[in-house]
Amino acid sequence: MRFILLTILSVLLVVFLGPIASFWVVMIGIGLLSALIFPNSFGAFMGGALGMGLGWVGLSIYIGLTTASPLPDRMGELMGLGSGMTLVAATGVLGFLLGGFSALSGVLFRKMIRPVPQNVYKG
Amino acid sequence: MKYVSFFLTLAVSVALAILVSRPIGQIPPLAPLLDPNHGFWQNSYSEDQIAKEELSLENLSAPVEVVYDENLIPHIFAQNEQDLYRAQGYVTAQHRLWQMEFQTLAAAGRISEIVGSRALELDRMTRRKGLAYGADLGLKFLEENDPETLALVEAYADGVNQYIDQLSDARLPVEYKILNYRPEHWSAYKSLLLLKYMSDMLVGDRDLEYTNLRKILGEAGLNKLFPEFPKENDPVIEAERVWDFTPLAVTKPDSLSYPDHMLAMNPLNQPIDGTGSNNWAVAGKKTKNGNPILANDPHLSLNLPSLWYSMQLSTPEHSVKGATLPGALGVISGFNQHIAWGVTNATKDARDWYKITFQDESRKAYRYGNEWKPSQFRIEEIKIKGEEAFLDTVVYTHYGPVVYDQSFRSDRADVNFALKWTVHEGSNEQKTFILMNKAKNHSDYNLALDNYSAPAQNFVFASKSGDIAMRIQGKFPLKWREQGKFFMDGADPRMEWQGYIPFDQNPSTLNPERGFVSSANQHPVDPSYPYYVFDNSYEHYRNRRINRRLREMEQITVDDMKALQFDDFNLQASEALPVLIKLLGSAQAGSPEAEKYLGELSSWDFFADPNQKAQTLYSIWFAETAESIWRELRSTDLPIVTPNSYQTIDLMASSPSDSVFDMKSTEALEGADYHVKVGLDSLISIMNKWVAEEGDYSWANYKRTTIQHLVPDFKPFSVGNVYTGGGSGIVNATGSRHGASWRMVVELGNEIQAFGVYPGGQSGNPGSRFYDNFISTWANGEYLNFNLRTPDQQEGVLFKTTFN
Repeated sequence: MRFILLTILSVLLVVFLGPIASFWVVMIGIGLLSALIFPNSFGAFMGGALGMGLGWVGLSIYIGLTTASPLPDRMGELMGLGSGMTLVAATGVLGFLLGGFSALSGVLFRKMIRPVPQNVYKG
Repeated sequence: MKYVSFFLTLAVSVALAILVSRPIGQIPPLAPLLDPNHGFWQNSYSEDQIAKEELSLENLSAPVEVVYDENLIPHIFAQNEQDLYRAQGYVTAQHRLWQMEFQTLAAAGRISEIVGSRALELDRMTRRKGLAYGADLGLKFLEENDPETLALVEAYADGVNQYIDQLSDARLPVEYKILNYRPEHWSAYKSLLLLKYMSDMLVGDRDLEYTNLRKILGEAGLNKLFPEFPKENDPVIEAERVWDFTPLAVTKPDSLSYPDHMLAMNPLNQPIDGTGSNNWAVAGKKTKNGNPILANDPHLSLNLPSLWYSMQLSTPEHSVKGATLPGALGVISGFNQHIAWGVTNATKDARDWYKITFQDESRKAYRYGNEWKPSQFRIEEIKIKGEEAFLDTVVYTHYGPVVYDQSFRSDRADVNFALKWTVHEGSNEQKTFILMNKAKNHSDYNLALDNYSAPAQNFVFASKSGDIAMRIQGKFPLKWREQGKFFMDGADPRMEWQGYIPFDQNPSTLNPERGFVSSANQHPVDPSYPYYVFDNSYEHYRNRRINRRLREMEQITVDDMKALQFDDFNLQASEALPVLIKLLGSAQAGSPEAEKYLGELSSWDFFADPNQKAQTLYSIWFAETAESIWRELRSTDLPIVTPNSYQTIDLMASSPSDSVFDMKSTEALEGADYHVKVGLDSLISIMNKWVAEEGDYSWANYKRTTIQHLVPDFKPFSVGNVYTGGGSGIVNATGSRHGASWRMVVELGNEIQAFGVYPGGQSGNPGSRFYDNFISTWANGEYLNFNLRTPDQQEGVLFKTTFN
C-alpha cells in the first residue's frame, strides 16, 4: 500500500512541483515523501523510481501527443538514438534512477535516525 | 550498518544527480536536457500553443498591440517609434533569440566560447578583420552624432533584454540547451555589429589573387583573361545615362611599383560564389494596371533559422512591412503605404591591402614616406570553452589592422599586410533603414540613403506616385585606375585612397526612358562613368536575362513578376552549349552513354527546372571543361582566381585556337576542342558513378538544395533535398546551399498588393510547426499574402498579444 501511495505522490510531485523547480528539488521532495510514508526499502526504491520514471515518460508522451512536434525525432537523430520513442525511454530510465535512489535515501535516512527502541524486554 | 547504507545510498543519489547535471565532453548535461518540465521536450510547443494575451513590457509610453497572422507574422501597432522598436526587440527575441545572439557571437569572433577550440582559427580571422573594431567606431559615431538613432537602438536592446530576463528554462531555445550556455544581454553595440557582419558576408576582395596573377601572367595576359568590362555589358544603371556632374580629380602617381612578391598566403574567406541578388521595378507605363511594381530577391546562404524574419511595424504615422534582420531595427527590404524598396549587393572592391614595413621586430612603428609612424596594439582575448583563453595581438596601422603577419596565415615572417576597409569607419546604416521605413517619396528615399556606407547596395525604389529609381549607395573610395586591384606598398603615401566619391555622384537613375530599373550584381555602370570601377565577381547572366525579359514585356502583372523571380532559364547554357557541341564536332566519343547524353543535351530548352536531366549534364560538362582549360594556370601553389565563365566561354567561342588553350606540359598544340573532349570524358565518368550510386540525375536530385541549420552539425534541424529548380547565374538563383533567401513583389496601386516568402519559417525553434513551414511554398515559386493589416482586421488572426 505504502509503495503505491509513494508512487502516486511522486508522480504528482513531478507534475506539479516539476514545472516550477529543478529536477533535483523534485528528487529531494521524493526523498522526503519516502521518509514520511516509510515503505520498506524495496518498496521505496520502486515507488520513487516508478513515480519519477512514469511521471517523466507520461509528460514527454503527453507533450508529444499534444504538440505533434517533430522535435523528439529530430533530437533522437541528433543524439544518435534514432527516434523520439528511444528518447522517451531514455527520459524514463533517467527519471527511474533519479527517483529510485532519492526515495531509497529517504527511507534509509528515516531508518538511521529512528530511535533505537529502549528497555525492550530481552528475555 | 544503517549509517553505511544511508550514506552509501545518499552518495549514489547525489553522485547521480551531479553526473547528469554536468556536461561530459561534448554531451550536454542530461537531466536538464531530458527533464520534460524544463528540457528540450518543452521546445515541442508551437508559439500559438503557449501564446499569452498580455505581457508586461516596461518603459512603454502606451500599450502596444501585436497581431500574429496565420503564418506567425507579427504586426506591431505602437503609438511611437520608441515603443515600436522596444516591442520589435522583444517580439524578435521571442522567436529568434538564439540566432540573433549566435550571429553576433560569430561577428565578434566569439564562437570558441560555445564550441571550443575548433572555432579558434575562425575567431582569430574575424577579429583580425576588425569587425568588432568597426562596430566600436560605429557606436562612437552614434554617440557623437546621432543620439536620436542611438536611443531607438537602445530601446530595441531593452526590449530584447526584458525578454531575456523573464526567460524560463522551459522556454530557452533548444540550441542553448544542447550547447549548454545561456543568453547574455543584448546591446546597441550588438545591433551595429550585426550590420558589420552583413558587410563581411557580402564583401570580398581578390587583391592577393590578382597580385599573384599579375606576376604569373604579366600585365597583358591579365588584361586579356580578366578584362574590366565584359563584351556585352548590361549595367545596373542604364548605359544611356548621361553623367551630369563634374567628377573630382584623381591623380595617378606617375611611377608605380607594387610589392614584388609571389604570395603563398592562405586568403581570407570570400563571399560564397552565387551570393548575390536581383531587384527591379517597372514603371506604370509597362504594367497592366498602370501601377509601378517592385520586386526583390536577395540571394544568400540558405539557413535555418532563416536570416530573415517578417514583420509589420506600425505607428500612427507609418506602417511598414517586409523582411527584417533579427538584431537590427526596422524593415530591411519591404514597403510602406507610399513606397517600396529592395536591396542587392553592389560589389565593388572596397577592401584594399597595404604592405607594412615595420621598423623592427617590436612592430611599434612602420615606414610611411620618410618617417616612421607609430602603430597601435589591440589585444584580442578569445575565450575558449573548456580551455584557457587565447591572446592574439593585432597591430593596427592608420590603414587598418595588420591581418596577415607571422602568426597568422602567412608562411613568411617578413611579410605583413594591413587591411583598409570602409567597415572600419564610423557610419550609420541603421539610420538609413529607420528613415526608409517612414519614407513617402523619392526625396525621402535619397535622404535615407545619404546615411548609408557599407556594405554597398543597389537600392531599388518605386512609389505610389509613380516614380521608379535605382541608386547604388555605399562609401566608395576615390581610386585611380587599378588602384587596389593588387596589394599596395603601405610605405608609399601616394598609394593612399584620395578621398571618397561624393554621394550625389554615386551612380543613380530616376524614371529612365526604358520604363524599368534593375540590378543583379553586375557592373554598376557603362565605361562612361567617370570613376574607376572594379570587382572580380560581377554577374554576367542574371542581369542580361532580367533586362531582356523586362525590355520585351508589356502589360506586366504581379504574376509576371513572380514568374520572373522564379525563372529557370539558363542563359549561360544557351550561349555555351552550342559552342561546346560545335567544338566537339564529329569527334563524338562513340560510346552509347555519350550518344545518350548528347541527345538529351541537344533537345534541351535551357530551362533548369527540377526535373531536367540536361541541366545536370550541362553543368558538369561545362565545369569540367573549364577545369581542364585552367588546370595549368591553377597548378602553382599560389592562391589565384581563374577567369570567370563568361570570359571562358567568350574565348572558346571567339578564338578556340588561342594560346591560352595550349597545354604547356604537352608537345602537341591544343585548342579549345581538346578541353571540350576532356570535359565530356569527365562528364561520362562522373555520370557513370552517379547513376551507379544514386540513379536519378534530374537536376533537383543532383544539386540537392539544402537549407542548413546555422550549426552544420545539427543535421536533423536542417531540411535537405528540397525539390526546386534554378542555379547560380540563373534568375532563380537557387543552388545547393544558397539562393533566394527572400522573395518579394509589391504593386503600388491605390491598395498596395504585396507578396513575399522565404525558405524557412517565422519561428527559430526546430520544434515549432512554424520553423520550416514556408519551405514548400517557396520551393514551388508560390508566395504568401503580405498586404498591410490594420489592428481591427479580424480574418486570419492566429493570436494577439498586448504589451502593457
